[in-house]
Amino acid sequence: MIRYLLIIASLLGSMHTTAQQPAFVTIPAARYVVGDSNSINNPIRTIVLDSFQISATEITNEQFAAFVQATGYITDAERRHDAMVFEPGLPEYKWIKDSTASWRFPNGRSRGDITEKMNHPVTTISYRDAVAFCEWAGYRLPTLDEWEVAARAGSRTRYFWGNNRDEIKRYANLWYGRDHLTADSSDGFMYTAPVGSFAPNPWGLYDVYGNVFEFCQGHAKFDKPGSKVVHARGGSWWCSKNSCNYFNSVDIGTVHPHASFSNQGFRVVR
Amino acid sequence: MKILLTGLLLSVSLFANAQDYKEPSKESQEYGVYRSKVTIPPYGLPKVKAMVSGLELEGDNDYNETAALTAKAWNALSFREKFTYCMIHGENFSQNCDASPPVQDEQKKVFGQLPSAFGEFSWSDRQLKFFNDNQDSVLALIRESVNRSKRVGVNYKEAIVAMNAVEMIPFLEEVYLKDKKDHDILTIFLLLMKENKYAPFLSSVSYKKLYGNDSDYGTYIDFNSANEALILQRVNDFYKNYKK
Repeated sequence: MIRYLLIIASLLGSMHTTAQQPAFVTIPAARYVVGDSNSINNPIRTIVLDSFQISATEITNEQFAAFVQATGYITDAERRHDAMVFEPGLPEYKWIKDSTASWRFPNGRSRGDITEKMNHPVTTISYRDAVAFCEWAGYRLPTLDEWEVAARAGSRTRYFWGNNRDEIKRYANLWYGRDHLTADSSDGFMYTAPVGSFAPNPWGLYDVYGNVFEFCQGHAKFDKPGSKVVHARGGSWWCSKNSCNYFNSVDIGTVHPHASFSNQGFRVVR
Repeated sequence: MKILLTGLLLSVSLFANAQDYKEPSKESQEYGVYRSKVTIPPYGLPKVKAMVSGLELEGDNDYNETAALTAKAWNALSFREKFTYCMIHGENFSQNCDASPPVQDEQKKVFGQLPSAFGEFSWSDRQLKFFNDNQDSVLALIRESVNRSKRVGVNYKEAIVAMNAVEMIPFLEEVYLKDKKDHDILTIFLLLMKENKYAPFLSSVSYKKLYGNDSDYGTYIDFNSANEALILQRVNDFYKNYKK
């Protein structure tokens, strides 16, 4: 109870933000319950966390552009020409390798650029790119546990509002089609949405279950010894209830550290 | 006092819930490992393995610049070496979500989908084209390899489904009936019937459960003798009436 009062108090504090600086939400030091009693990959347990601040929104194209402009950084997709992109008509889990795709052209040059999408989350970047941004900006990626605590907002359920998946439409940009063979813009967006377009969780975080998967640092319980894979959590505009159904507080995804997908982004911690 | 009571109740419920998690049985965990095992073909293996390790890892801290062989290196491989290469390595990245995380009592289920063969990698268009352009020869190598190792790796299963290789049904059934252990062979049958829109299956209760509007990539039906018999009977009827 006291913990929740502290959180509400911190949320009532200044949330000053600029185009190139995300707003932050303070998560107090406390014992938190994470995981789920039915999950083998993320079993229920109690953890102790120090206080941290996590960005209320995902990092935007505008914020990433400032980093590139300041440093001349070249992303993995620009260097390797192996970004994976999407267009309607693909079978489930099928993506297209597009050598022209990068954060500036998230689904390849033929599918448009980000000129009108500077307030959308940056995508088609790899874990390595996200870490480079953090190092420049003085932030870091959230740990798997920090991400979960912030996403849960004090809840013990699969979603921060309970276990009824149908309520997600208020909170997340997802894919509502039965499959990916035909375009779905039923929530207003086929690809990404401007950050913060949907309702936040009770602690003020936007888009935790949708828009883009969010890179986290650290190893998962199920990682093989010595594995170099990385993890991302939440959900994305591509995710549907009939595919992996991963848009929740429990599941943990796995991806190659140099893979760039147009449904992959990040939020930051300081 | 009320806050104290709430805190006390919260602690009790945390303790109670923390006890809810049940570690899967040894049998379930072992079956999960069995399901995700690939079969490694022997053809040109040392050479191909060396090429793949050159792609995947460079030193201790970084991956190489590409996950795919150059066109020149690919074209220089023999047919059998290409087969081995495709069966041990996917050239494309896979996206973040894993369609089939482990579940309790995995050995007691028949899933609607196969687990992923290569984790964070998947087959490229070039690799899938190789399978489709050489289907008869690829299937012959799979049969040869399965007869030798007595099992069908998840990579072979994925390739069979990717090629829509209905002609493999009798062979796979024979393999399955030897020990009835590999329920993912039944999953191949389900996927082949689904892919070919076999009407008696599409109108069945199990189809609705596995592939209907409420299904996802982790959906399963119970493994029991009735479900097993039904799948085998249906797939045999489908095979008998199948016309390419």
